[in-house]
Amino acid sequence: MIGERKLDHDDSSLVRAARGGDRVAFGQLYDKYAPTVHAILLARVPIDEVDDLVHDVFLRALPRLHMLREPEGFGAWLSAIARNCANDYHRHNPKGLIQELTDDVPEKTAGKGERLDPEAATILAAIRSLPEAYRETLLLRLVEGMTGPEIATRTGLTAGSVRVNLHRGMQQLRQKLTEVRATDTTSKEIAAERWPDGNPGGVTK
Amino acid sequence: MNDEYLWDKSGPPDPEIEKLERVMGTLRFRAAAPVFPSAEQLAAAHRPAFSSRLWLRRGLAAAFAVTVVASGLGLFWRWKANVQAGWQVSQIAGTPRIQDKLLNATVKLGIGQVIETDGASRAEIEVTEIGRIQIDPETRLRVLKAPSGRSRLALDRGTIHARIWALPGIFTVDTPSARAVDLGCAYTLRVDSNGDGLIRTTMGWVGFQLADREAFIPAGAVCRTHVKTGPGIPYFEDAPETLRSALQVFDSPGSSQEDRAHALQTVLSQSRKQDALSLWHLLSRVDASERSQVYDRFAALVPPPSGVTREGIQALDREMLDRWWNSLDLGNIWLWRHWERSWSEGTQTAK
Repeated sequence: MIGERKLDHDDSSLVRAARGGDRVAFGQLYDKYAPTVHAILLARVPIDEVDDLVHDVFLRALPRLHMLREPEGFGAWLSAIARNCANDYHRHNPKGLIQELTDDVPEKTAGKGERLDPEAATILAAIRSLPEAYRETLLLRLVEGMTGPEIATRTGLTAGSVRVNLHRGMQQLRQKLTEVRATDTTSKEIAAERWPDGNPGGVTK
Repeated sequence: MNDEYLWDKSGPPDPEIEKLERVMGTLRFRAAAPVFPSAEQLAAAHRPAFSSRLWLRRGLAAAFAVTVVASGLGLFWRWKANVQAGWQVSQIAGTPRIQDKLLNATVKLGIGQVIETDGASRAEIEVTEIGRIQIDPETRLRVLKAPSGRSRLALDRGTIHARIWALPGIFTVDTPSARAVDLGCAYTLRVDSNGDGLIRTTMGWVGFQLADREAFIPAGAVCRTHVKTGPGIPYFEDAPETLRSALQVFDSPGSSQEDRAHALQTVLSQSRKQDALSLWHLLSRVDASERSQVYDRFAALVPPPSGVTREGIQALDREMLDRWWNSLDLGNIWLWRHWERSWSEGTQTAK
């Protein structure tokens, strides 16, 4: 049923229980949806901010649980809050993502002192340059390891939309990465031609 | 490209996608699982007493949920950073002053600074992560030093309208006669030239405290506070006029014993089911000799929940009082106890 929105009926009872202060139910919702929120934010905000903002999204969502008319739609609702949270972040930090993307990426850290793998940083930058719908879907698939049907269930998107986003997004990502690698190779070749001794600054060691 | 593998990982693996999965999988969400509060702390709120107050219950359930998050997710450190951002103050009308300087642009209000409005000026202060406060004319407001992660103002005189979206217990306003503790709400707080005050809650609920005397003011209710005696008895604004007048007499420090006794009889005879709000507070404010009368009226309107006994209430057993309060569904009192304790601890460490 590719055109139908996937609803998770398991969420209904968890949301109702969480509304009543059930900590176990809340924990289950958190465990289930934190990766989704993480990927949505990773598509939009600097990587060092993502983990904190994941918590902020839940912080925003829980006091509003009573306003959720269809508990089965929790995933779609939470995803919307995550997107809004990212928008708010940029309202208060207008240069946040731009700054990160223009920094020397290999020097950035992945938070908690862990260095971000240069190859992952390059691919992340390429994904972030894609249209928004593709970014999210690809990060849910490649970073969080979800399948297409899982992405549909978690985000409330139709399976058809997810499939299209994955297919087109992957096509565009391949194209971007090919361009990046070509540029990288060309740069190395030019550098090798100009500075065969590997000393671009002309500084004597 | 193997579309089936990309879609649901079925079919032969696509080497390029596998490589992307491997590299990008290093960014997967791996934050530590949140630590949730104990089951005892999260004892569920009791069955509602006022079926007509569905909106209120929802608001309070939301407030409770906020506490669950606050305690469970360990987000407090996040707030610590945010609340130190400073209060942004801007003029709404006239010429408010900060210290001796006219406020004619948006500026930051620091600890110890005072903002004052005259009869024709109004101002607004805001912290993104805390809330927004409008300052009416003839008001004097100060920023106090607060324990880390909290925000604290002092309203010396005048009126403020607070709309707070911070976690419960983060934001407080000291007045000369009580401290107002936000528990997830919107409210108006007024202090007159004598230091007496009045709080009117429009959303959520507020705790009002002076030393051991405490009052809880849910949406739709008001509470007076007097210098020396502290918070009075809260009541719903739609309560009968005779009941409201009687409570004012009961609360007034200048009332005689006879006046108070007469006022108490009026309150007991006039109270409706929703006025259990006032009766609950009266239990701990009346003399022991009068307490059984209040108990009888309260119990007739809202039967005591299991485990709450006349003897226990007569002895002002804290746990029983709290349990009976929770049965009103006006706010889970555990939330208050939690923040009361944390404020107390925080104040000690802030010095």
